[in-house]
Amino acid sequence: MGRDKSARQSLGSLHMRIKQARRAPIHEARVLMVGAGGIGCELLKNLVLTGFGEIHIVDLDTIDLSNLNRQFLFRNEHIKKSKALVAKESAGKFNPNVKIEAYHDNIKDPQFNVAWFATFGIVFNALDNLDARRHVNKMCLAANVPLVESGTTGFNGQVQVIRKTQGKTECYDCVTKDPPKSFPVCTIRSTPSQPIHCIVWGKSYLFAEIFGTSEDDAPELNHNEDSENAQEIEKLHQESQALKRIRDSMGSKDFPRLVFNKVFKEDIERLRSMEDMWKTRRPPQALDFEQLSKEALGVADTIAQKDQNVWTAAENFAVFVDSLRRLSNRMEETRANVDTGNAPAILTFDKDDADTLDFVAASANLRSHIFGIETRSKFDIKQMAGNIIPAIATTNAMTASLCVLQAFKVMREEFDKAKMVFLTRSTERVISSEPLRVPNPTCPVCSVTQSTLLVDTSRATLKDLVDDLLRLQLGYGDEFSINSETGILFDPEEDQNLDKTFNELGLKADSFITIIDDADEDTKVNVVFSIAEKTLDKDTRPIHLPGKLKIGTKPKASAPEVNGNGNEHNHPVTNGVTNGKRKRGAEDNLEDDLVKKRGKVAAAPAVADDIILVDDATDGAIVIDDD
Amino acid sequence: MADLPPPVQGPTAKEKKYDRQLRLWGATGQMALEDSHMLLINSGPGVVGIETLKNLVLPGMGNFTIQDSAIVSEADLGVNFFLEEEYIGGFRAEHTCNLLKELNPDVQGNFITEPIDSWLTQPDSLKPFTLILAIAPIRPELLARLSAHANATLIPLFYVHCVGFYSHFSVHLPSAYPIVDTHPDSETTADIRMLKPWPELLQFAKEKTSNMDTMEADDHGHIPYIAILLHHLEEWKKGHDGKVPQTYQEKTEFKTTISKAARTNNPEGGEENYDEAVAAALKSLKEPEPSSSVKEIFKVPECVLVNKESPSFWVIAHAIGLFYTKYGVLPVPGAVPDMKARSADYIQLQNVYKSKARKDVMEVLESVRFLERTTGRETVIEEKDVEQFCKNAAHIKLVRGRPFHVVQAGETIKWGERAKSIAQNLTFPDTLIPLYIAFLAFDEFVATHDKDRLSGAPKMPGETRQETDTEKVTGIAFKITDDLIKEAGTFIEEPDYTAVKERIGEFVQELVRAGGAELHNIASLTGGIVSQEIIKAITEQYIPVDNTCLFDGVKSKTEVIRI
Repeated sequence: MGRDKSARQSLGSLHMRIKQARRAPIHEARVLMVGAGGIGCELLKNLVLTGFGEIHIVDLDTIDLSNLNRQFLFRNEHIKKSKALVAKESAGKFNPNVKIEAYHDNIKDPQFNVAWFATFGIVFNALDNLDARRHVNKMCLAANVPLVESGTTGFNGQVQVIRKTQGKTECYDCVTKDPPKSFPVCTIRSTPSQPIHCIVWGKSYLFAEIFGTSEDDAPELNHNEDSENAQEIEKLHQESQALKRIRDSMGSKDFPRLVFNKVFKEDIERLRSMEDMWKTRRPPQALDFEQLSKEALGVADTIAQKDQNVWTAAENFAVFVDSLRRLSNRMEETRANVDTGNAPAILTFDKDDADTLDFVAASANLRSHIFGIETRSKFDIKQMAGNIIPAIATTNAMTASLCVLQAFKVMREEFDKAKMVFLTRSTERVISSEPLRVPNPTCPVCSVTQSTLLVDTSRATLKDLVDDLLRLQLGYGDEFSINSETGILFDPEEDQNLDKTFNELGLKADSFITIIDDADEDTKVNVVFSIAEKTLDKDTRPIHLPGKLKIGTKPKASAPEVNGNGNEHNHPVTNGVTNGKRKRGAEDNLEDDLVKKRGKVAAAPAVADDIILVDDATDGAIVIDDD
Repeated sequence: MADLPPPVQGPTAKEKKYDRQLRLWGATGQMALEDSHMLLINSGPGVVGIETLKNLVLPGMGNFTIQDSAIVSEADLGVNFFLEEEYIGGFRAEHTCNLLKELNPDVQGNFITEPIDSWLTQPDSLKPFTLILAIAPIRPELLARLSAHANATLIPLFYVHCVGFYSHFSVHLPSAYPIVDTHPDSETTADIRMLKPWPELLQFAKEKTSNMDTMEADDHGHIPYIAILLHHLEEWKKGHDGKVPQTYQEKTEFKTTISKAARTNNPEGGEENYDEAVAAALKSLKEPEPSSSVKEIFKVPECVLVNKESPSFWVIAHAIGLFYTKYGVLPVPGAVPDMKARSADYIQLQNVYKSKARKDVMEVLESVRFLERTTGRETVIEEKDVEQFCKNAAHIKLVRGRPFHVVQAGETIKWGERAKSIAQNLTFPDTLIPLYIAFLAFDEFVATHDKDRLSGAPKMPGETRQETDTEKVTGIAFKITDDLIKEAGTFIEEPDYTAVKERIGEFVQELVRAGGAELHNIASLTGGIVSQEIIKAITEQYIPVDNTCLFDGVKSKTEVIRI
């Protein structure tokens, strides 16, 4: 009787069935876990205690105090240490027979290339952001490794199996995810009307201009309407420049007053002087530094802790001045420690960094006072500024266990039994599931044909690719384009790169290029090549396909626009969770109710779930023959 | 230069640590969690109990106590992640308790290694606890004692099985378990009262829509949609004998009228505020009638017959019942959905709703105070509780908790009023009721078998003899099934009857094959579900599972049934 008594007794059939199929048993499985946070800690424990043989963990994050309410592999003494390394250390003790490798790195680093992904039997996504999820999805498709994708938000959770061949499931990008919300520059800088506008102003403009780089790269600001308001934009630009100049007096006693008077008085007065703007709006009212200073003298020093209360103007003022001082001191210290000649010292907003949060909360509320907008508590502002997603141990425990259960199906190659599993707050079900869906035929990621390309990058030119490989070997016509990760390399109008070599174009090993066919008839699906560098004999062609490549054609039907709001493939995205069951519009529900109540027989409204996607698997198939 | 205010203090470490969960259950929920003291009666391989506790220690449950007289063996190491080689031979309760405490220094942990039989018979042994979690296998007379305690003291009792790929839990909540803060979906909480406007709201709409035809484009595009809806409703009433749209056809017509009123001669080809009005049109024509389950609450005896001792929930519910009787609606919750509007208008509209909500709260509060006086109630109900109740009035919930089955050797299991519906559902091809019956049979086996003959630890089926145990448990399960069908006064025809027995047989076989062993992954999942339900019970927020949940790990499937 050993430590695996329970597992052997219960999992016996799994071991056996796997053996019969001559597949690796669990203790020989080599798996990758991307992310060692909430789901990751639970998942690692479950994988280790289920007896997975070799587990690799990648996470670039470090441990924060706010992780400790759920990420149980970490303790107070681990704060600021690498999640991946500490997780390995803590979990390794549970089962000495398991081999764990940890990387304190970004999964997007070039060392984690397609060939590396291909060494794993299963990949688990335990991530908290869209970008990394999409990257891993893409790599798993390219490496043809099954992916178990998961996410949680509060009490909701979701697990999805993604598999390119055998099963042919929907991939992570088959469903359009809502992009993060952004606001026009003028709304943020000149005409705010909601608390969120002032919060974005505090975080992406004021904080960024004083302590960071600049507002220009803030994702919350969109510049689509800039051209319509060219004059105002120019003025706003001058304002930013003036604010930057004030930055130089950081550290002086007068600094808070200078900043305050600039943004809460002078800029407001300038805005107010533009009378046209305020014909139909309540004009903003500048704040007075001296007066607020006096009122703020009576504010208790515990004010910043009262994060559930909505502060008065004076309280906000007190927090503003104090947080500005704290941040200035930090900035001075950073500067003193930075070697001259290095990049300038900057601070970045972090929702869990009290100094930055206090500053943004107080600035946002002061601005709300000016514009007559409702002010918010620091607790609420933290959520809005930091896009905080509530997270708890219970949901993570359930979600991680469901990942492992789905992994069992993957290991048995029972893709017909694998499911998309949801945790919902509904108490009628607790867990609900639906069969995996077929891929979206217009998915920009998985509907493409993928292959590697062996390239002698010092010798091969773009012309070799265009003329010899694409036109001659693969039968492309005149209308197509070649895109790299940075932009267009070639299309019928863009031919000046043709004589450049791959090296000169920066196309190195493991970079991707996409070929987009624009022919009117029998349009080929997009082809994504990942480049493998190889020195080839001078007498041979400098670009080779590793095998025969068959490229399917795009479906004829007027397909919904890629990235459009194609109804049938649109999930709202939070932390990767899609609100449980796919929802219909609220209105449809109501009409449905009405119809039911009146006992009328009517055609049910079109429901996303009812749409049947035609699986054009035969056409889209990729066949690479080894020869 | 004026003096600057003094420096302020930073947030406490505790607030930072619990930030992500405070956004779910708030400061009051957290306080309830910190005031709780849970007893875990651990048994069997003991994994699911510890996994459950882990998920409660992390978010900061105040106190826990583990009762477990088992000694750590090598088999524990493979499934219980807390235990390592060095603890072999020690008390499992002691080591798991200490290791759990390491997860969160704010939590107090205790352990009891005295055997459950003698410990439980001591007077007041259960007194400190606000919630009890019992893990199978447990002797029926002990489980019955816990159930009686839960009944008498109104504390929640959870009972959990976790065997192989399968698990189950039942919860025994107090017979009247009301919840104010059910956390409804934000989509269902907007209650804008278009059909029951009050003078100030009508006045607002009139102001914002007067001369709307001659308005500048920018102004027209910023009329709050609530004003647009009310304006068109008033117009409609003029042409329909003062009646609002009644039939589906009329409602659709009303919606069309609004969408036609939008201006389209602008670069966008439409107006966002009108889009919002159209989207809300049908919904706003629904009478703001409380749901039947809420109306039911006003009629239950606890609500009708409020006395000196009544919990505050019933006093406030009674007062709101009076309000409903008088006006035919619940108090206005007061929140206004986001909409396209000038900030000044939006703020004005918010105030219209807020002051009406405030007025309604004051009226309910007056009734509450009256009830307090007439019943001679000793403690005063806080105004903020009344306010909170009014805000959530449309979503309050009453759960009627009840005891779960305690299987006694040789006694027939009683299903009572549930017999009929459960017997009916038994034939559904996907139901997990057969699994529940298999667990009941498992319990009856436990009730009649000891590990040694000295009534030591209970023995689980399959621990030593697979085949004979499978036969025994299958026999018990079939008898339970037949008794259930008999009690329901129904009959299951062939081939359904054989199919039901087959499924029960399969579940029994799987349970016995596991030999009482736990799979870590299933224990972890079950621990997740159970701890989540415990958090609901402690915080008295969210709607709990009522009252039994089954999990099939082969199919990743759950089913909730009321037993």
